[in-house]
Amino acid sequence: MKTFSTHLILCCSLIFIGWLALSVNEVRGQSLLDELGASELAVHPVYATFKDTRIINVQSNETPGQNVMHFVIAHRFGQINEGAYALWGLDNASMRMALDYGLTDRLCLGIARSTFQKTFESSLKWKALQQKSDDSVPLGITFYAVSMARGDSTYAESADNRTFTNRLSYTYQAIISRKWSEKFSTAIVPSFTHRNLVEFIDNAHDQWTLGAGGRYKLAQRVSLNCEYHFLLKGLKESAQNSLSLGVDIETGGHVFQLHITNSRGMFERAFLTETTGRWRDGALFFGFNLSRVFDF
Amino acid sequence: MKVILIATMLVASNFCSSQQWITRNGTVEFFSATIVENIEATNEMASGLLANDGRFAFRVPILGFRFEKALMEEHFNENYLESTRFPNGTFEGAIANWSDAFQDGQSHTVKAQGILTIHGIAIEREIESTLKWDGTAWIVQSEFTVLTAAHEIPIPKMVREKIAEEISVDVQMTLSPR
Repeated sequence: MKTFSTHLILCCSLIFIGWLALSVNEVRGQSLLDELGASELAVHPVYATFKDTRIINVQSNETPGQNVMHFVIAHRFGQINEGAYALWGLDNASMRMALDYGLTDRLCLGIARSTFQKTFESSLKWKALQQKSDDSVPLGITFYAVSMARGDSTYAESADNRTFTNRLSYTYQAIISRKWSEKFSTAIVPSFTHRNLVEFIDNAHDQWTLGAGGRYKLAQRVSLNCEYHFLLKGLKESAQNSLSLGVDIETGGHVFQLHITNSRGMFERAFLTETTGRWRDGALFFGFNLSRVFDF
Repeated sequence: MKVILIATMLVASNFCSSQQWITRNGTVEFFSATIVENIEATNEMASGLLANDGRFAFRVPILGFRFEKALMEEHFNENYLESTRFPNGTFEGAIANWSDAFQDGQSHTVKAQGILTIHGIAIEREIESTLKWDGTAWIVQSEFTVLTAAHEIPIPKMVREKIAEEISVDVQMTLSPR
């Protein structure tokens, strides 16, 4: 019996020594860096899903940071198929200026003015959900609401219809975005547009569209972008689905977006529900957005 | 039997004696100074570990650098440091002139020799630092420079006058017993 317990102690001691030796080796063999454990920032919100606050025409998931003023000046030229006489549309520019201000890193207010129909806009954008690097949140969701007011005098045919309310239209959208890799990001954008006044009595006041957009980075500061908006029933006019292709070029504080689109208007009601150009007819518009940020 | 016991104690004492000091909220700042623009950023999420044989490891999560301007931070991470591919900057090595007598409350200048890895590029460096034992913790201070070109951080011509080629880095840490 005594020999048995001696053996037991011996055995246990040997196992203990073995374990200690192993753990010492483990500590020795492991680098100190590994001993620091997981990084403090192993999980973080995904950044730079898109380069700018717009993919081309449609809003992206991005907002300016807190106390950042984001200024965009955009042009759409005339139809490319106007030919050489109008220098393929370049004689004929329409412009939009926009100022967005980041109240927080996720909430921003914006105002804008387009020469097209002398339209004023005011908007609100909120990054409700941010994609996380470890996919614990696989998508980002951003909401965008904009009200648009026509400022021109020809907005209503009959004098009875000329009220301020009839100048207004609204668009609400959800931008569901995902950055798949360093280079590739996509967004799905369902939008609802309401117009207080329609041109013809049988025109729908409400229009749903389903949009999709994406970007692929060709180089560190250059990306290829595209977006498409599909009109979901509603409009009986000859409105077309909006399709745009473009390139983003980033140079420090500026982002240049150059594109070709079949939508001339640069605010939501116009490009989502009143696109007239057809790609197959060459009824396309060359244009650019130029953005600049100012910090306060 | 006795031999085993003694061996056990020896191994155990050896194991227990490897004391370490650690921090998880060290401060790392960097400055890029040019005639056109000064850029600075602060990171308060640096971690560091020092063993009582003079070996050390420091790790800085690159995404933890906070800039004055949000867009700078984004460009820093996306275009320059490529933080998703290379999430951490690290410095690992040993203090060349380490001595147990450093725990005397005085400030000591030490030579930290090791591998500095930034943007995935590892470079052997000797960085001068000061080390002071305040009775309960080590206070580590260091200033050094990092060459962007050495770590293959590309700076396009267009912004070359705004971003310095030589970035000065300032480290402040308090390492408490682990």
